[in-house]
Amino acid sequence: MKLQDVDVAVIGAGPAGMAAAIKAKEAGAKNVVIMERAEQLGGLLHQCIHNGFGLLYFKEDLTGPEYAHRFIEKVMDTGIEPLLETMVIRISNDRAVSAVSKSGGYINFKPRSIVLAMGCRERTRGALNIPGSRPAGILTAGTAQRFVNVEGFIPGKKIVILGSGDIGMIMARRLTLEGAKVEAVVEILPYVGGLIRNEVQCVHDFHIPMYLKHTVAQIHGEERVEAVTMAQVDDNNCPIAGTERKIECDTLLLSVGLIPENELSLMAGVKLDPITGGAIVDETRQTSVVGIFAGGNVLHVHDLVDNVSSESELAGQSAASFAKEEKPLERGKIALKGGRNIRYVVPHTISGQKDVTLYMRVNHPEETVRIKVGDVMTKALRVVKPSEMLKIDLSTEELKRLGKETKQIIVDCEKREGR
Amino acid sequence: MSQLETEVLIIGGGVAGASIARELSKYKVDTTLVEKGSDFGQGITKYSSTIMCQGANVLEFRAEYHNSRLVWAGMPLMEPLCKELDVPFKRIGSLELTKNQAGMRHPEKMMRRFSEWKDKYLPEAKPLQLIDRETLLSWEPNISKDVIGGVYDPNIAINDPVRLTIALAENAKQNGINVISETEVVGISCGTEKFKVQTNDGIVKCRFIVNAAGEYVSKIAQMVNADDFVLYPVKAYQGVLDKKLGGLINHMVLSTEHGMVTPTIHGNLFFGISPRTQRLGRIHDHSTDKKLADTALRHAQELIPDISARDIINSFVGFIVYRNFEVGWHECTVEISRWVPRFINASIGFPGICAAPAAAKEVVELLVKEGLKLDENPNFNPYRKAMPIFSELSDEEKRKLIAKDPRYGHVVCRCETVTEGEIVEAIKNGARTLDGIKFRCRPGMGRCQAGFCGPRVTKILARELRIPEEQVTKKGGRSRHLLYKSKELLEE
Repeated sequence: MKLQDVDVAVIGAGPAGMAAAIKAKEAGAKNVVIMERAEQLGGLLHQCIHNGFGLLYFKEDLTGPEYAHRFIEKVMDTGIEPLLETMVIRISNDRAVSAVSKSGGYINFKPRSIVLAMGCRERTRGALNIPGSRPAGILTAGTAQRFVNVEGFIPGKKIVILGSGDIGMIMARRLTLEGAKVEAVVEILPYVGGLIRNEVQCVHDFHIPMYLKHTVAQIHGEERVEAVTMAQVDDNNCPIAGTERKIECDTLLLSVGLIPENELSLMAGVKLDPITGGAIVDETRQTSVVGIFAGGNVLHVHDLVDNVSSESELAGQSAASFAKEEKPLERGKIALKGGRNIRYVVPHTISGQKDVTLYMRVNHPEETVRIKVGDVMTKALRVVKPSEMLKIDLSTEELKRLGKETKQIIVDCEKREGR
Repeated sequence: MSQLETEVLIIGGGVAGASIARELSKYKVDTTLVEKGSDFGQGITKYSSTIMCQGANVLEFRAEYHNSRLVWAGMPLMEPLCKELDVPFKRIGSLELTKNQAGMRHPEKMMRRFSEWKDKYLPEAKPLQLIDRETLLSWEPNISKDVIGGVYDPNIAINDPVRLTIALAENAKQNGINVISETEVVGISCGTEKFKVQTNDGIVKCRFIVNAAGEYVSKIAQMVNADDFVLYPVKAYQGVLDKKLGGLINHMVLSTEHGMVTPTIHGNLFFGISPRTQRLGRIHDHSTDKKLADTALRHAQELIPDISARDIINSFVGFIVYRNFEVGWHECTVEISRWVPRFINASIGFPGICAAPAAAKEVVELLVKEGLKLDENPNFNPYRKAMPIFSELSDEEKRKLIAKDPRYGHVVCRCETVTEGEIVEAIKNGARTLDGIKFRCRPGMGRCQAGFCGPRVTKILARELRIPEEQVTKKGGRSRHLLYKSKELLEE
């Protein structure tokens, strides 16, 4: 395949990129390439050797590598061209792509459409500005996961984990199984950041102490981490004097949030939503730049890979039809806005003409609620949590209830009477 | 090294020691530099704000102070030096702003002081200008709209202090100086003719000692009771902001009261508190604290409202080592010890980077005064070529470089676009640790702070040095970042 003839270029070969590429191919795009910075397809799934993947998408309980493998096989079978160890270094707003690789050198080409599928990165110590010294032994949970599960190294044997994100809790279990002692999982919020199944299976089942409303107030150690000071926090998340406790440890893992990796998107002029950190998109997953689409964690951070795959298929399909027709897709004109206790809704606009799935997150946990999508529909829920993304399907039938002049729909999470 | 004889021993491989070594390499004199760390410029040098100024904005600068004169003499030497050593240097100018009428007195005072110094000490400096609100906002539209005026100093420049120090050490080595890292001085005894210096790796006998140990200068001097001075370390907090904010300002911007934000040579922004409002610290304690961090951020936001805590990618605390805290915070110690002959203390003050070239020349004069014989080194080559930095090349240069060495086509660090080729080259040039590589070519300096490239750089370093990955360290010593192999803990 000549790069000059590429219909759809997908950037990133994690779960999002692979699903988008496969769908683009199935939807009729002739020449599809996936550009991936790593040595192989699959992205971070290779280091996620735990199970729990595929329950929605395949109705099976798979490990990360197994889930990846199903997509990798399909990519190979459908004649998509993977460009591995290829780093895209620039995208312009007219879709010119520049990339470099060992084998291909410096590449420039202009695909008919682009799918952004770069995923996300972890927040770091620097971003948190944790006070203290600057020794070795401070790692993000995902980097530690790579060292343990792919490279075959254990960062240390007395571990403190700051943040109760999913990767942090999964690493608490993993490191315990490897013979390390996890001294504490420390969470600044009054509730756990990750999924309930991880809280139970990775932390409680292994009797690892979890401290809510606590933080790491100081890091100690010159060359290697020697201890951290943990403290309770007040309602402004500031450490409370007198509650400090020094915990001896050689490693501090951070699991304090994920940030969509949108530096390339910004170069292309894609407009971002400050709340999700991802692009502003309509239901086709087209961004503010014509012919550039986005899906998966680069768009908003998901908690289940299954949703990443389904959402990116949409982006792939749209990219394929854009490449085929070579005319701009019609943009949705009805804006969706988060109202009471709704942090965000993706997509940001819809057409109101076809079935659509809304993805959203709440600001804080609540029980006995209903999600109210304007006057279109409501859905009762027993409990909602920021860690668990909500999915609301709207059918064309329901959307017919919209007035002709509707410009905006507010989505609220309302309290309801319940048992 | 178990036993070594040398004429001059320089203790410390920071910007001071490396500058002195390079200055001495212009002569035929047997010189050794020892650095306790695994790389050069990793002590207080690396914490420098990178700014080079002649101190007109710093009221404690005075003609009678030795440090002020060193800074003034060093300023014009810096740009040609950076050119010779192929390290970045950029003149950006500074804008000192004020938000109230009372504050306007400060710029006026600055102008007056500057014109007093100008002819005598700063012949090459460009004049300062008072500047009104409209001009300020047209030059820097992202600064606070509350400013009422300020002063523009076109002389202010930035560079990369660690790259400069590494370049100085490399150039000194290339010109015949014996440069050794991971060698810590633990004791010194005075003989009648020679010093006997005990290190962690054997004994060095030498006739002259230059003590350029940075924040440890007192500790070294005390080993032979040559500490006829008291030094005070003043904590200097700095935060680093994401490159995406890099375009917010073009000049260094500071307030007449407190706070400073400056572009860095690599396109980030730095912010910090003026040393006037800093606190006294403890030697060796580079820990950040919440109070300093919060204050610095608040001050930065008063200057540039668009800065937010979310954009901080790293922060650190350095020291400014002052001789006499009571009189101000301005004096250095570049002098022959009053009690120990042939022992020179070379502790430069603030701003240390631009004082270094002049301090180095002065140290050489002091050595001559103490009896060192100097003959010119006819083979002295002032030029040193820097390794290629992929992200700074043009498309055509990138293409050529990859064609020559495909490892330049393998981007290892996403945030800073650093290639395997650069990492291998940095190791060839002497990097032995993750920090050594990071300060030479920047993998891990970006917004993900080595989350992605960390495992990959570790692998390349282990491969090139032919050591197991778990022996790789962050900064030498016990700073290994992988303590065990898989399953090792289960066998215990």
